[in-house]
Amino acid sequence: MEILESINWGILLPILVIQLILLVVAIIDLIRIEKTNGPKWLWVLLILFVNIIGPVLYFVIGRRNQ
Amino acid sequence: MSVIQVKDLKKSFQSVEIIKGINFTLQEGRCIALLGPNGAGKTTTLRMLSGLMKPSSGSVNFSGLEKETDIRQFIGYLPQHPIFYEWMTGREFLEYVGKLAGMSKADVKKRTDELLELVGIADAKNRRIGKYSGGMKQRLGIAQAIIHRPKLVMLDEPVSALDPIGRREVLELLEKLKEETTVLFSTHILNDAEEVCDDILFLHKGKLVESGTMEELREKYQQAKIDLVFRDDMEGILKSFSEKGLLQSYLIEGGKASVMVENIEEARRAIVEEVMKENLPLVKFEINRTSLEDVFMKVVQS
Amino acid sequence: MRQWFILFNKEMLEMARNFKWVWVPIAFILIGVMDPITTYYMPQILDSVGGLPEGTVIEMPTPPAPDILMMSIGQYNMFGVLIIVLITMGLIAGERKSGVAGIILVKPVSFSSYITAKWAGGLLLVWVSYFVGLLASWYYVGILFKWIPFGDFIQAFFTYGIWLSFVLTVTIFFNAFFRSPGVVGFASIATVIVLSLVSGSLSHLLEWSPAQIAGYTGEFLSTHSFPEAMLPTTLLAVGGIVFLLIGAILVFRKKELAA
Repeated sequence: MEILESINWGILLPILVIQLILLVVAIIDLIRIEKTNGPKWLWVLLILFVNIIGPVLYFVIGRRNQ
Repeated sequence: MSVIQVKDLKKSFQSVEIIKGINFTLQEGRCIALLGPNGAGKTTTLRMLSGLMKPSSGSVNFSGLEKETDIRQFIGYLPQHPIFYEWMTGREFLEYVGKLAGMSKADVKKRTDELLELVGIADAKNRRIGKYSGGMKQRLGIAQAIIHRPKLVMLDEPVSALDPIGRREVLELLEKLKEETTVLFSTHILNDAEEVCDDILFLHKGKLVESGTMEELREKYQQAKIDLVFRDDMEGILKSFSEKGLLQSYLIEGGKASVMVENIEEARRAIVEEVMKENLPLVKFEINRTSLEDVFMKVVQS
Repeated sequence: MRQWFILFNKEMLEMARNFKWVWVPIAFILIGVMDPITTYYMPQILDSVGGLPEGTVIEMPTPPAPDILMMSIGQYNMFGVLIIVLITMGLIAGERKSGVAGIILVKPVSFSSYITAKWAGGLLLVWVSYFVGLLASWYYVGILFKWIPFGDFIQAFFTYGIWLSFVLTVTIFFNAFFRSPGVVGFASIATVIVLSLVSGSLSHLLEWSPAQIAGYTGEFLSTHSFPEAMLPTTLLAVGGIVFLLIGAILVFRKKELAA
């Protein structure tokens, strides 16, 4: 666990925070939206577990834009 | 006064002619039904009038406008399956479309409220369009088509996707529209046309097969028809009637003979005389008139 | 002009409602800071991945700061371009495909306003996102390695931004052609890839190609001077943008909106 100690959290924290914002916004939108391309539960998994790319993919193809 | 003149309008897709040269003139302040079965070319015609499609040949002229004028400010159009920005609210959409049509801010606000009321979706004005039902979208569609007070409003099958109640309400709405502007709407249901329209354009397989005012057409096609029932030998009796020149044509169907005649009074007298003279077993004698519906069906089925 | 702003404001509102104003800048920031951070932590990462015998000292030369900023630009050249195409490919084609264009464009809307408002809306989103992204990259390069003069950063930012604008305009251009967003996206990506490959392999012949801009930006960052071809390349790219926009408007006018 040396690696965790050697990391300067002041550097990484802002990045983690905006990643979290991205994830939360995607989840909020997913809850509010009526229909997605593909099943909703799949998008929940993708957004939660595929870092960065999951939420971005959701916004690009999961969301039915009208 | 005429609003629009259509001359020899044609449209082909990949060398298949969909609209085969149609001519008509629409008079101001009338309600005109573009009637025809599915596939007759109604949508294509409306799209060409609205400028969404370019005619292969022929012309569409607005009265009193230079050739180069953008006709779009004078027309309102509702597609058959209207699609909106679902993320907008009904009110936002109307205001957006009104502003695009060049209306002032104050005018747009006033007119939007007025129309939301008129089409009956005032309660839902601040809801996202994505949550609207089909009927509500149809009303919103009508509102957006007339927001800029166009001279001619074109509606593509405005009632065919609605349930009976919604249909009734939209037809009543069309009645109100008639007072404001010229309305052209397409439908494949004669009833809808008869209910609200003054004039009919009857389109079939890309051709205008009939047109005129409702009264003209009713008169023209209200051919006299007599229904006869004889106890036996219907064929033989009618054949002899035909040979004696008592009737134009006849059709035996379901134990009943429908007889087409030129003059109903003469025919009545002649047939009754014949029945008396020959002592024919007449069971039923009924004078009828053919309706537009019969004509419509005849054209569609041929 | 009033109509143009109405159309433009609608684009802004739409991008706010569908969260593009949130996720696109965030995506650009994350793409931008990825390389500075992973480069900085590379020794630890290698260490934790393991496989190296105990006591192995990892000696890695620290790359010069401009090279790391350039790595971020290299990421934008891939993922940034991809995101731009993905968010732009449906702007017009999507509206035509869904049919909403049929309602909007029977109103007296000028086709050139319709297209340029969408172009400008997309451009604003891309420039803002790209700015915050590259700024984040510059900041991380500064605190983790060495500060690059802010003036250099700004010049590099504007120079490379021309290429991103060019990519966006290519996508808008194909929007006028095709009704399907997928086809638009494919045609745009294919065009960008072909242009980049051809410009890369025939760089001596095509030194004015807009696809060279990324390379020239890197050259500027490490040498503080642009190559001579930079000016004509810029002019050509800007000319290309204008040309593509006008082309898009002309094509769009000829198209049938409903089919």
